[in-house]
Amino acid sequence: MSAVENPRTDVAGGTDGADGSVTFGLTVDGTAHEVTARWDESLLTVLRDRLGVRGPKTGCAHGRCGACAVRADLGDGGHVLCACLVPAATAAGGTVETIASIGGPDGALSDVQEAFLAEGAVQCGICTAGFVTAATELLETNPDPTRPEIEAALYGNLCRCTGYGRIIAAVETAARTRRGATS
Amino acid sequence: MRGAKVATSAPGGIGASVRRPDGPAKVRGEFSYAGDLTAEGMLIGVTLRSPHPHARILSVDTTAARAMDGVHAVLTVDDVPGDRHFGLVLRDEPVLADGVVRYAGEPVAVVAAVDAATARRAARAVEVVYEVLPALTDPQLALTAASVHPDGNVYRHVSYSCGDPDARGVVTVENTYRIGMQDPAFLAPEAGLARPTPDGGVAIEVATQWLHSDQKQIGWATGLPPEKVHVSLAGVGGAFGGREDVTLQTHACLLALATGRPVKIEYTREESFLAHRQRHPGTIWLRHSADADGRIVSVEGRVLLDGGAYASTSPVVITNTVTLLQGPYRVDNGRFEGWSVRTNNPSCGAMRGFGVPQAAFAHEAQLDALAAALDLDPVEIRLTNALQRGDVATFGQRFDAPTPVREVIEGLRAVPLPTGPAKAPGGVGRSAEGGTVRRGVGWAVSIKNLAFSEGHVDESTAEVSLRDGHATVHTACAEVGQGFVTVAEQVARTVLGATTVDVVQPDTLVASAGSTSASRQTMASGTAVHRACLAVRDRMLGRVARAHGLDAATLTVADGVVCAAGRPLGPVATAAPGQTFRATEHFQHPATHPLGSPEGGMYVAFGFSAQRAVVDVDVELGLVSVVQIASCQDVGTVVNPTQLLGQIEGGIVQGMGLALMEEVVVADGLITNPDLQDYLIPTIVDAPEIVSTYVTDPEPGMPHGWKGVGEPPLVTAVPVVAAAVRAATGLPLPAVPIKPEHIALGIGAAPTVTWTTPRPADPDRPRGPVVDEEPHDAPGTMAEEGAPPGP
Repeated sequence: MSAVENPRTDVAGGTDGADGSVTFGLTVDGTAHEVTARWDESLLTVLRDRLGVRGPKTGCAHGRCGACAVRADLGDGGHVLCACLVPAATAAGGTVETIASIGGPDGALSDVQEAFLAEGAVQCGICTAGFVTAATELLETNPDPTRPEIEAALYGNLCRCTGYGRIIAAVETAARTRRGATS
Repeated sequence: MRGAKVATSAPGGIGASVRRPDGPAKVRGEFSYAGDLTAEGMLIGVTLRSPHPHARILSVDTTAARAMDGVHAVLTVDDVPGDRHFGLVLRDEPVLADGVVRYAGEPVAVVAAVDAATARRAARAVEVVYEVLPALTDPQLALTAASVHPDGNVYRHVSYSCGDPDARGVVTVENTYRIGMQDPAFLAPEAGLARPTPDGGVAIEVATQWLHSDQKQIGWATGLPPEKVHVSLAGVGGAFGGREDVTLQTHACLLALATGRPVKIEYTREESFLAHRQRHPGTIWLRHSADADGRIVSVEGRVLLDGGAYASTSPVVITNTVTLLQGPYRVDNGRFEGWSVRTNNPSCGAMRGFGVPQAAFAHEAQLDALAAALDLDPVEIRLTNALQRGDVATFGQRFDAPTPVREVIEGLRAVPLPTGPAKAPGGVGRSAEGGTVRRGVGWAVSIKNLAFSEGHVDESTAEVSLRDGHATVHTACAEVGQGFVTVAEQVARTVLGATTVDVVQPDTLVASAGSTSASRQTMASGTAVHRACLAVRDRMLGRVARAHGLDAATLTVADGVVCAAGRPLGPVATAAPGQTFRATEHFQHPATHPLGSPEGGMYVAFGFSAQRAVVDVDVELGLVSVVQIASCQDVGTVVNPTQLLGQIEGGIVQGMGLALMEEVVVADGLITNPDLQDYLIPTIVDAPEIVSTYVTDPEPGMPHGWKGVGEPPLVTAVPVVAAAVRAATGLPLPAVPIKPEHIALGIGAAPTVTWTTPRPADPDRPRGPVVDEEPHDAPGTMAEEGAPPGP
């Protein structure tokens, strides 16, 4: 990352550059980065364009489609949010887990990823990382979700290809698999 | 499923729910989409667009923009080295605005700079002086208004009759129906990366539906021959017709050639709405006459589609709408007319269904209106009129392939109605009041033409190789999410017995596959792959026969094993060690012909679909919850059950979106909702339970009897949801999307029902179709229909 002139320390976890940029620490998928970005840059822009993390996708850039969903801990315990809506600088010192942090042991697919493939929940796939991210969080907090609970957890993610039927089937299958594995 | 004819095959072959080969990368977030493209030294391209729907450009000054640090090129129409115009059907659209802008959002200049922020600043620094002109935004006025383009305001007028249009039964029903503008709203906005090539040409990776069409149109603008324009497919995040036209392709190539650097363009969501083609909004007037048992005696229809500023596929779409106004029903007597016209509204073109959802919405409303007038069951009236094999269409084509209209209706009727509690209307908050919720059940049946029509060549080519059981398949068929990559793999496994299959990323190094549209790629590219695999298999078997001293005619491949007279010889993978077998095969459907041509039919094939929708409606708030849609579709054969279900469910939910919520709102030529906050596509909360059943009657001439399946589910879903909401509310609801205020305030006129003295068809009138060159009527009269018909 580039050097910053006149570093200030009164910005939470970061330093403010004379050109309106700010430098701060951000941990993404387990790797610590020092990021210099403009104040108005979204977390999605920082992830994709500055760090080259391409798992979160740009669908609308206004928080309606969920293609950029990541799990972020900004000091609040962590939850899934739209990276396009978060000014990156407010994530200073935080940790972000993208789709790259989701997987089974030894590079295998997670049960949710496996179920998405088995049930045909993937077509063009541009929404898939966001859905897998949101569904993974759902099953961690609610291992046996009802259909209304699945809908409530995933209605911030849009899919234009599948009509959602296979996505619901995939979440139900993953939940069954997980319950079977732990019972 | 009626007589499920699923071919037996090698593991992972035709008929199995094979997983997508690109699936693992997609669930890991590692699949590369066009928006993910990057290159060393890459510049970012940005487009300056017209803020006016119609204006004369008095001057364009790029001096300040060109002088900015980091700006490498600012191009206007004067910098287009080749032909300044492009277009899918008519070449009427300027690459960059040429003296006049005709829609809000029309590209005026393009900029390449070191980063997006610099490029956007430079685009804002281009000084354009406009003289704003009156905008033609009412398509009803297009015929009489001054031309807004040198080519005039009518893209195409279609008019024909068959039999005796003045024949009457005991009743006529007529109404005027309106369909709103739907956006394809694929979730990955347009993106592509162009680079200059050492031979003076250009290469572009782009999310597209039709590589060779892009190549041709890039060639026109750049002045380069096809061999110097290389198009390859980048990862595509949905398409649905909206990537069939050129948007950024030519601009990125012009900028790459002008700067000598790689140039990437990626649209914002707002630009995506402005730049690509929407589904045609339209007005359809229909008059049906029937006898007392509901049999259709005659149909008269007129259609007006707003094509917007440039032609795109408007001259083709209008024929689909007009000719398929008859629906999946036998109609011997009729008169049909339609116009697609130019306005200063957003340009419209291909979207899944291609003119037919509009027709289906209107004809199915009419069937229900006839049934209501005659006190008949809506299912019975459809069975009474169902097309059968051997019937002749109003447009003269004989239905000489399986025409299982009755079968899809009967198959649907066997699906039980849903029981148990349903989710209340009102979105995730479920804000409806229990006491005002009414349930409705509606039925709809549709016909959709499959593949290109009216003489447009429908073809594809496949190159296949096989070595030690590993097959490679190369076509120019764009994978846009529908799963052609899976089908190609399944074919190679079934025909060749391949153990592994690599489907090469499509490019223009292989011959054209046509567009991924019109439900056509399994039929066209799938068949080309099938033929190439057969040729490769025969070459391999010839080699095996010579090596073993056998007659090649006795050799076959089954389940990945080479057999001699049915006896296993050994696996395909070890049949000819180290030998590579190759073949390139072409497939082309039998030629089609323009409407009215004596030489033959307009369409390659047809697909039929029946659906039943169950809805709950809060009649005071106007909120609708679609509880269930059951479907029975004519699918030829089941190639991949999971992918087939994905097409059915995805298509139904898109059609439901058009029926209930999706509309590009255009006011004075400006799109007021170019974002996903205000343009509503269905969410997981809106999606109904879907029950999908099939009729499998193999399509003649197609391997395994397969046929296109992607569009019919959408086509039928539009009328079926509307029918169910009508049943719940008792309202006529002649327009989609049905908005809450339509229900709450009862907006929309009911069909006019007129009792008539039966008048048999004049037997001397020609069976038809008789095509009229001159307009029979004017589109502006449609709103004033309603006079008692006929003598």
